[in-house]
Amino acid sequence: MNIGTKTSFLLNNTAGSLKEVSAGLISALLEKGVAEGTVFEIQLSFEEALRNAMVHGNRERPDKKVKVEIEISEKDVRLMIEDEGEGFDLEKLPDPTAGDNLLRECGRGVYLIKHMMDEVRYSDGGRKVFMRKKIK
Amino acid sequence: METKNDIMACRINGVIDINTSPELKKKFEKVVKEKVPKVLINLERVEYVDSSGLATMVEILKKMRAYGGKLKLSNLSGKVKGLFEITKLDKLFDISDSESQALGSF
Repeated sequence: MNIGTKTSFLLNNTAGSLKEVSAGLISALLEKGVAEGTVFEIQLSFEEALRNAMVHGNRERPDKKVKVEIEISEKDVRLMIEDEGEGFDLEKLPDPTAGDNLLRECGRGVYLIKHMMDEVRYSDGGRKVFMRKKIK
Repeated sequence: METKNDIMACRINGVIDINTSPELKKKFEKVVKEKVPKVLINLERVEYVDSSGLATMVEILKKMRAYGGKLKLSNLSGKVKGLFEITKLDKLFDISDSESQALGSF
């Protein structure tokens, strides 16, 4: 992944491909001297969004793909993840920190992404997410 | 895992995510089955936790609470503690700064 250029991937719906592309992103950020805490937040958000795309979007179907675009500039990192699923309604996601939801075992992924990235935008009925985080 | 004075203390290393959570769940099945009354998990060497990892911790806590067991966490790194705070799970779990503090508070 080169600084200033956009890199695109078409991933198979597997945990292995998720970890592979994530490892490349982490390594590029660390090489660039991005603070460890910031790298952690980007890694977590990226992996949560990718997993959502593979598991909830593509329903773990091996014939489905996930499109990923990564762009690292001097100032920020921009990530786009798009699945081939049916999408979801962001408004219908319950707040995982509210009342009894704290005891629920799922529903924290999108919440974490929103807290860790500077900008998060879902489009195309929830099939596509754009995330941005300042790195300087 | 080490048991002393009816407290089971264990340390987890590395990553608690979607890939490693099933193994963690499996290890704690025995704890739940045997209804171990007091468990301390030291997370000092855990460098990464994702939402699946948090979900697994919640699942273990719920199962232990169901039989009256007590679960405490200690030595969370700044990053991992931050996750518990953002998700407000720090209100659900009993979290101590050190293992000795946690052991003394059972």
